[in-house]
Amino acid sequence: MSRTTLSAHLIQFGVIAILGGAWYWSTATGSVSKLFLPEPAAVWLAFSHLITTGQFWSAVKVTLTTIAQAYAIALLAGIGVGYLVSRSRFLIDVLEPIIAGLFAIPITLFFPMFILFFGIGTGSKIAYGASYAFFPIALNTIAAFANAETHFLRAARSMGASQWDTFRHVLIPSALPVLLNGMRIGFFISFASVLGGETLSSVAGVGRNIALAAELMESARMYAWIAFVVLTAVMLNLLAGGLETRVSRGGDGAWR
Amino acid sequence: MNALAQPSGLNRVADRPVAISIRNVSQRYGHAGSPQSVLALDNVSLDIRRGEFVCLLGPSGCGKSTLLNIVGGLVAPSEGTVAVDGRRVRGEPLPQDVAFVFQESTLFPWYTILENFRIALKFQGVAKDERDARAMAALETVGMAGFARHHPTQLSVGMRQRVNMARSICVGTAILLMDEPFAALDEQTRMVLGEDLSILLAKTGKTIVFVTHSLAEAVFLSDRIAVMTARPGKIKTIVDVKEAHPRSPDFMLEPRFSDLRNELYAMLRDEIRLAMAAQRDPNAGEEASS
Amino acid sequence: MAMTVRLSEGRDGRLLYASRVRWARGIIILAVVVALEIYGRLFADPAFLQPPSEVLRAWFVTVLPDGRITSALGMAAFEIACAYALSVTFGAAIGLAIGSTAFSRLALFPLILLLYAIPQISFIPLFVLMFGLGAASKIAFGFTHGVLPVIVAVVGGMKNVPALYVRGARSMGLSKLAIIRHVIFPNIAPSFFVGLRLAMTMTLLGVILAELYVSTAGIGFFTRMFADNYNPAPLFALIGSLAAIALLFNGCVRILERQLSRMHSGAPAG
Repeated sequence: MSRTTLSAHLIQFGVIAILGGAWYWSTATGSVSKLFLPEPAAVWLAFSHLITTGQFWSAVKVTLTTIAQAYAIALLAGIGVGYLVSRSRFLIDVLEPIIAGLFAIPITLFFPMFILFFGIGTGSKIAYGASYAFFPIALNTIAAFANAETHFLRAARSMGASQWDTFRHVLIPSALPVLLNGMRIGFFISFASVLGGETLSSVAGVGRNIALAAELMESARMYAWIAFVVLTAVMLNLLAGGLETRVSRGGDGAWR
Repeated sequence: MNALAQPSGLNRVADRPVAISIRNVSQRYGHAGSPQSVLALDNVSLDIRRGEFVCLLGPSGCGKSTLLNIVGGLVAPSEGTVAVDGRRVRGEPLPQDVAFVFQESTLFPWYTILENFRIALKFQGVAKDERDARAMAALETVGMAGFARHHPTQLSVGMRQRVNMARSICVGTAILLMDEPFAALDEQTRMVLGEDLSILLAKTGKTIVFVTHSLAEAVFLSDRIAVMTARPGKIKTIVDVKEAHPRSPDFMLEPRFSDLRNELYAMLRDEIRLAMAAQRDPNAGEEASS
Repeated sequence: MAMTVRLSEGRDGRLLYASRVRWARGIIILAVVVALEIYGRLFADPAFLQPPSEVLRAWFVTVLPDGRITSALGMAAFEIACAYALSVTFGAAIGLAIGSTAFSRLALFPLILLLYAIPQISFIPLFVLMFGLGAASKIAFGFTHGVLPVIVAVVGGMKNVPALYVRGARSMGLSKLAIIRHVIFPNIAPSFFVGLRLAMTMTLLGVILAELYVSTAGIGFFTRMFADNYNPAPLFALIGSLAAIALLFNGCVRILERQLSRMHSGAPAG
């Protein structure tokens, strides 16, 4: 590791250490209300206690299955619609601005509508998450397939490739990077929106537990839940970043 | 106007069978009679014999690429007929025994060089066990065998176009349609590839139709040059170049080479002026080049 | 000459196509509205879905005249404006600080990206706990959402500022502010504008989430009231008003962009 990278990492570590120190110090001296900022030890205790309870894992299961369902629907609908629209220049010019325009309105605004339609169970969160994630997936799919470089398609045709051959060997590989990008964005939107929906209004799941802990003024437990979410999110981000670099490198790490 | 006597020992081209027959081909974009229609090709007729190297030479927008695409079946002609090896060609299905080489390398960047060749052979219907052998042989001929496992993006532009050409050749079709394949390359690479092409012609007897802007290239490579007018494209005249393949670079030093070049330039100069004037006109149709 | 008289297939054809596209879009939108109207009137359960005409009526009858609702909407708009202003100013300042040297970028930028990865929604109960149920928590939440894109955009843009120009300007004795205005800003402008737009999207998200979370007053109170009472028409009307406010703010950002680029179009970009 070069000296500059080493010192950079040292600084990062230093910043986190300072923040951690400030946390410890401010709570130890009592200058911050325990309600807002419990002691690190209390949070750690709550966290270790939390992950041993069955209630924790059932909540996590609820959230995960909700996210999975929302994402699956968004993928099917988004890729399906995106692919179909991409087949015709006219359809793209007509529909893409409508989809992009709808995405410009914060979908979060419509959350109460989903509660109205589906109640406060997981159904509303699935519908909300799916609707939200649909847009970046569909838009990226349209872009991915519409912009498949025409000279590759023409080359395949000129070589006598069948429709299926062209689809498999030209269209899909050329569309893959943009497609995957959309799928990645869609996933994180599903993740965040389901979590958000649960926090706003639900009966079960991780988000609900955060809100509940706040309501009951159990700050240590709330922080424990938040810490869990943050750790999961950071790990997922790293995973997604790693996956994407692996896939977009065809073989010798050469392409795109 | 032939500038030279016919060297002895040449198999008379006129005796060979007709590989490509173009009869009264016109290409119109938009509806006839409407103010938006554009006539790209106007009543073009040309017979290309087997084993010939024919150049389509003309100013930008004269329809030479369009004509090439029509011959290869990528586009159906508005009027007229095209026959390849006796069989009528009209858009899909594409004629079997024809391969294209385009200006930009169309090697798929997501496959390795070898995989690109395999895929091309697969599209052509070559048996699986034959593919690797033919791929490697073709790469050997252009001296790129060491790059079989590389990706096209790891090659320079010149190398890519050589491999691109090799791919179209290895499929083993009798006819090669080349649309300004060397346009993006530097002069030295152009010369080397030109010589390779000439050798290929002599060795395999392929029929090659070559679109180019370059006068020197046309004279060096062709048996016959079809000089085209500005849009709407017609064949203005056909110039013979009587020199056996494979041609050595010394051919370019001979006085008849420059005579031919000057002759071509004289014919083309007015057409080029017309084409440029049409481009400057903001109302001129924007149909793709040639 | 015959060539100039003949109209181009290019230009006219394109105009014809563009108007066909616009017509098709208009027809589709109209068809959707009409379908909703018919379905809403004849088939839908009025507790869940009301036709657009009813929504419009509810807007005039229930939403507009109610001072509490309009003041809640006004409050939300105020919170958005405050949060955005704070995001842009602090975001630019922090971004300039972090982006000023390659080392600070290397050291501190990953921390920003780390923050970006965290789903901030999980913090909303904490914000409300700390800042209360009033405007402060909403502005704070909107701020934390909006500040990050600005920082990322400014730091990203500053990678492209040639250090040579900055040094040259400093050697000429230009003040820090002048350097920012004449050397840095023109170079980061495109990235900055993207950041401005994204920041508005995120600020809107943050403020709306906070408003919806606090169900004892403000927007959250009314959405809950209408939803709990199965009163979709005023609910849709309220949401529609918020959507209009969001679109208005997005439009303001575009105007802001245009103003800023006009102000600096005279400055040599290097």
